[in-house]
Amino acid sequence: MATTHVAPASVDDDPDAHPNREKQYVIIALILAALTVVEVLTYTSPQLFLGEDGPVIIPALLLLMAIKFWMVVGFFMHLRFDKKMLTVVFYSGLALAVAAYLAVLTIFRFWGNDQVVQPPGIPVTSE
Amino acid sequence: MSENLPATIDSGGTLALPSGVSELPDRAPRLGVFTRPGESKGWRSWVTTVDHKRIGIMYGAMALFFFIIGGSEALLIRAQLWAPRQQLLSADVYNQVYTMHGTTMVFLVVMPIGAAFANYLMPLQIGARDVAFPRINAFSFWCFAAGGLFLNTSWFLGGGADGGWFMYAPNSGVIYSPTHGIDFWNLGLIITGIASLSGAINLIVTVLNMRAPGMTLMKMPVFTWMTLVTQFLLLFAIPVLTVAQFLLMFDRLFDANFFNIDKGANPLLWEHLFWVFGHPEVYLMILPAFGLVSDMLPVFSRKPIFGYPFIVFSGVAIGFMGWGVWAHHMFVSGIGPVSVTVFSLTTMFIAVPTGVKILNWIATMWGGKLKFSTPMLFSIGLITMFTIGGLSGVTHAVAPADTQQTDTYYIVAHFHYVLFGGAFFGFMGGFYFYWPKAFGYLLNETLGKWNFWLMLLGFNLTFGPMHILGLQGMSRRVYTYDANYGFELWNKVSTVGAFTLATSIALFLFNIFYSRAKAKNLANPGPDPWDARTIEWMIPSPVPAYNFDPIPTVTHLDEFWYRKYGETEDGRLVRVAATEDVTQPVHDADVHLPAPSYWPVVTAVSLPIIGYGLIFSLWLCIIGGLVLIAGLYGWVTEPPDDPEATHGHAPGGHASGDGHDADLALRAGDPAAGSVDGVEADTDAGSEKEVTPVG
Amino acid sequence: MASTETPIAENPEAEPTTIPASAEFIPAPDPDVVHGGHGFATNTGISNTKLGMWLFLASECLLFGGLITTFLLYKLPAPGDGPAPQELYDIPFTSISSFVLLMSSLTMVLAVSAIERGDKQRFHTWIVGTALLGCVFIAGQAYEFQLFVSEGMGYTSSRASSAFYTLTGFHGVHVTLGIVMLVSLLLLSFRGHINRHKAETVEVVGLYWHFVDVVWILIFAIVYLIP
Repeated sequence: MATTHVAPASVDDDPDAHPNREKQYVIIALILAALTVVEVLTYTSPQLFLGEDGPVIIPALLLLMAIKFWMVVGFFMHLRFDKKMLTVVFYSGLALAVAAYLAVLTIFRFWGNDQVVQPPGIPVTSE
Repeated sequence: MSENLPATIDSGGTLALPSGVSELPDRAPRLGVFTRPGESKGWRSWVTTVDHKRIGIMYGAMALFFFIIGGSEALLIRAQLWAPRQQLLSADVYNQVYTMHGTTMVFLVVMPIGAAFANYLMPLQIGARDVAFPRINAFSFWCFAAGGLFLNTSWFLGGGADGGWFMYAPNSGVIYSPTHGIDFWNLGLIITGIASLSGAINLIVTVLNMRAPGMTLMKMPVFTWMTLVTQFLLLFAIPVLTVAQFLLMFDRLFDANFFNIDKGANPLLWEHLFWVFGHPEVYLMILPAFGLVSDMLPVFSRKPIFGYPFIVFSGVAIGFMGWGVWAHHMFVSGIGPVSVTVFSLTTMFIAVPTGVKILNWIATMWGGKLKFSTPMLFSIGLITMFTIGGLSGVTHAVAPADTQQTDTYYIVAHFHYVLFGGAFFGFMGGFYFYWPKAFGYLLNETLGKWNFWLMLLGFNLTFGPMHILGLQGMSRRVYTYDANYGFELWNKVSTVGAFTLATSIALFLFNIFYSRAKAKNLANPGPDPWDARTIEWMIPSPVPAYNFDPIPTVTHLDEFWYRKYGETEDGRLVRVAATEDVTQPVHDADVHLPAPSYWPVVTAVSLPIIGYGLIFSLWLCIIGGLVLIAGLYGWVTEPPDDPEATHGHAPGGHASGDGHDADLALRAGDPAAGSVDGVEADTDAGSEKEVTPVG
Repeated sequence: MASTETPIAENPEAEPTTIPASAEFIPAPDPDVVHGGHGFATNTGISNTKLGMWLFLASECLLFGGLITTFLLYKLPAPGDGPAPQELYDIPFTSISSFVLLMSSLTMVLAVSAIERGDKQRFHTWIVGTALLGCVFIAGQAYEFQLFVSEGMGYTSSRASSAFYTLTGFHGVHVTLGIVMLVSLLLLSFRGHINRHKAETVEVVGLYWHFVDVVWILIFAIVYLIP
């Protein structure tokens, strides 16, 4: 029949061709669990990350978060193996959100040590 | 593997099957209330329709209804501002009137007219038989209608919203605005936001997935491209507004602290969220009109659009860049000189792609054989009026100048030039252009020309003087002005202009009824009264339910034109086929079409009930919630019935004979598949079935 | 123009009279075809439903981004308005919630895998598992919230509390709607509507579920863990 142009996006799409697919999922889940453990370690043992106030802890958390995000989206949601259009659609939304909201935070002078800029007369909490 | 088909899968009822079979054997008996609607005439057929054309027409009709309301509010404003210190409207009532005027015009007129054209026209331009999710499409319309009506019932239930269409916090809180008006505004716009978001998903999937064979993205008409960009803007902008609205709602209804200054809240949070939405919003208001004009100009210049790739890419660029300019609405809000500079620069840059379009339009007309029909007049009107509005926009981009202009009538002039002179003029042209296609008769040309010139005159009289008033310092958003500032003359001119404008609208409405009456004695204008270029002009007027039969294979941009005309060696146009030979005749086509449904209406109607409940009584919330659940349950368990119908075309993209046969074979072997099997658990998906990539 | 589709009425013999009550009524036309289903070609090769869901999820990024931004701006309450959320967190407890949600993504993906193979038993098991894990997560959230309230952080106490509960509340509502969809899938499956060739419906619900998990990954790091 006529499926000359068709092929599954990758051989991963055909469940029968990959009895190990489920095993892969479990491995991914275990990796995600391990990453979560590391994340929690930043709370229980911040000294491993050069301290709560150090320069490492926040980037570390963000990095771990990003890796977990990418793994769930790429593997569990199958984005890595689907048509590229879906990646474009989803990640452009994400990129737009990140860019716009980072800009908003920047205008509020969220970064750095001074407080969020408030109009005069509004109580500012000090850390 | 064997499966037992339960005896009561679907709600039974009349299904639109081919070859006239009205019911499947082995189906469940009809259950009275849940019989699938099947009429094609009468008001019930409109209420239950999932046909994109009818939905488009309903969007347009409802938008015109709201236009009259919003226009009346405008006339009240202009009457109040006729002379200094008038007391026609008190300050409080004035606040309500101008808030509702702005809200109505933006959310209930311009956006829905864009949706009307997108719904009616886009599937025709791409050679599809309907949109990807017909029932969600119906739901979107009914949500819009419900939300808009809900919003306007505020007038009878305590007063309209009074915080300006931009609803700045903390002014919008219960302390400064204790009536329910803002709650109606908030909840009503959340409901219309649901309409816009679901519509956006629907139309994007339609454009990306359901084009006729051979219609690559770069062969789509410009209007379809602009629709695609507009829907992406909606997709991403509406959620930001939704966040702001929920924060406001929680503040007002549940005492949250998002905009409570005493608890350390920052009012700028609202401004940022609103304008991150608000700026893309204004681009999504103008782009459909740009698209319409880009398709009309070539027809009446008898030349292809100049620089098609540039028109397309500049539209996409406007879509992108529109996200980077929002704080130009906040130049005087205290964001600081660095932010102001950045946004001033980005705002100047965004003038570039728009300028590209203007140049391309002019170049399209240049050297063309111009015909000044009514649609052409309105198109030229858009180009000229929008240019004026765009120029004042560029002056706003210069932040020091804007510090002077902001909150004055100069700004009011700017946005009315781009929105009315731009978007609405474009829509008027679109109405005149597409009226015969949708309704089977032309609007009267003489009346149309009177309509245009009166509207042009009235419009310029109304908004032109506002530039002067603004630069003289007349404040906006204020119910009156004092006598010794020299504002009197231009305010009077503006008010006269407004009533002239109103007369031109009345003339338009009169034209509709007049032309309809006269049409009974006139011949049908046929599929192609304008000698147009794109494939929607290949099909009968009015468009039959199935749109195309057969779906054309597209090989060119302006496909229809190429079927009619060729070029000699020295580039002269020569006719290669008679119109009758390349247009589709009216005939009885046995084509699967998506069956009508009650459930979108039921689901949509539950939302304002919940809204009333949030404002007045939690019991109504519960009732609304039950209706919502019932609507969704009915929807999910109702088979979409006709998966093939919405994909009435052959495998798209790579039209291979093989893939084609597979489709036919599928359908031949499995005609009832859709109706039996088509139950979806995912309500987001609506009526669509999964598809197999073939070819 | 003859190469385009011809109306279906050309084949009047194709009557539905022969649908056996017990047969799989959607034969897959080609084993190579992705996700079965009697389908229909789309220009992109992606089904309408799947593309629609991804578009929706992309828009949700803007929604949750706004709520997260609001939280970040307001995370410290004004003085005198009660405790800040970070003073009250029980990170070990929340970590368990996070594990629970992560594992629910695993069970979800196993459910999809099962139904793609046609294994309805396993499919039911994993779907029930996913829904149950989702319920455990929600229960954990509810418990946590009432604990916070008893410790002095109510919804209206401060700007921080409003932002915290709104963000996590929106997420919780999304999880709850996900559970409703999972239960609906289960019920539809009992009535015979879910099978190997309708696996994509399950996959699409799965996409929503994973996204809700992904948002929690963001919330857990940004709201709870980042000092």
